[in-house]
Amino acid sequence: MAVYSLIIINKAGGLVYQREFQSGLRKLSTNDYLVLAGTFHGVHAITRSITPKLPALPPSITTGSSSSSTPTPLPSSTQSQSQTQTRTQTPTSGPAFTLPNPGIPTTGLEVLETDKFRLTCFQTLTGTKFLLFTDPGMVNIDGVVMKIYELYADYVMKNPFYQLEMPVRCEAFDRHLATWLRGRA
Amino acid sequence: MVVFSFYIFDRHAECIYKRQWLPRPVSITAKSSRPVSEPSGLSNGSPAVFGQSARTTDDDAKLIFGTVFSLRNMVRKLGGEDDSFVSYHTSQYKLHYFETPTNIKFVMLTDTKSPSMRIALQQIYINLYVEYVVKNPLSPVEHPGGLGVNNELFEQSLEQFVTRVLS
Repeated sequence: MAVYSLIIINKAGGLVYQREFQSGLRKLSTNDYLVLAGTFHGVHAITRSITPKLPALPPSITTGSSSSSTPTPLPSSTQSQSQTQTRTQTPTSGPAFTLPNPGIPTTGLEVLETDKFRLTCFQTLTGTKFLLFTDPGMVNIDGVVMKIYELYADYVMKNPFYQLEMPVRCEAFDRHLATWLRGRA
Repeated sequence: MVVFSFYIFDRHAECIYKRQWLPRPVSITAKSSRPVSEPSGLSNGSPAVFGQSARTTDDDAKLIFGTVFSLRNMVRKLGGEDDSFVSYHTSQYKLHYFETPTNIKFVMLTDTKSPSMRIALQQIYINLYVEYVVKNPLSPVEHPGGLGVNNELFEQSLEQFVTRVLS
């Protein structure tokens, strides 16, 4: 039940904060952390784009009139060929596909599990990402992330000397973060 | 539990097998009842059956390989050489990953509610891949373009495994 470390990535993929809360972690160079932040930022965007899209069942398909045409939009290569097919179909109003969990907005990677740790990623509405590395068996990580976000809002964003998108150097944030995490453990 | 797709990548970063189980309108399934694992590129006839509007499944496989490759390297850097990445999930899907000692990568995309599929992927490797692909005397050592992996026995048993055991 331990929080290993915290990384904050700004909306451009730059590392703005990195801190370890446990001794004995592998030592990575600053450069490694910068690469890690950039890589994660890219992977996060890709994981959102590879969301499986399920073809929607248009109401017209149940009539059984179209046996060979697909209800989904075809890529440009076969556009000309499909023109005749789509015209014969009754026009459908809804989107051509549905998501696996309709109603929930599509996000990028949220939780990554490995043998030795669990990475929880929380992306704020403004695009800042909080990466929390914890023990794989830890519970209520969301609560911890929310509290860290609250502390970030209070002690980083409300700090008049903090420049947006720049590395976080706020003593009060460090202090309160350490105190709260210690009190929790 | 719903399985969306399954991929095998060889040690040269090539996708040697891909298979999708997206629920499709009934009238269309009749067209391709046989598993689809085209060695190179999709046939011109039905590239959009999976609902991917702009990208083909080939591009998807490349994106998935890039993702798991980056994440695997990241995890190794953070957790040490013996750490391995098991799965990740987003709000919409969950990706399971299993790598053999010979660097063959098995990837499966399922819905978010599914439990860990590490054992299942291991079973696919041991009971299906090794049995029907590796032990096949006619199968080449490498599988460029999916050659040797897309044999009927492997595809049928994979189909059975996913539809009967996993769901």
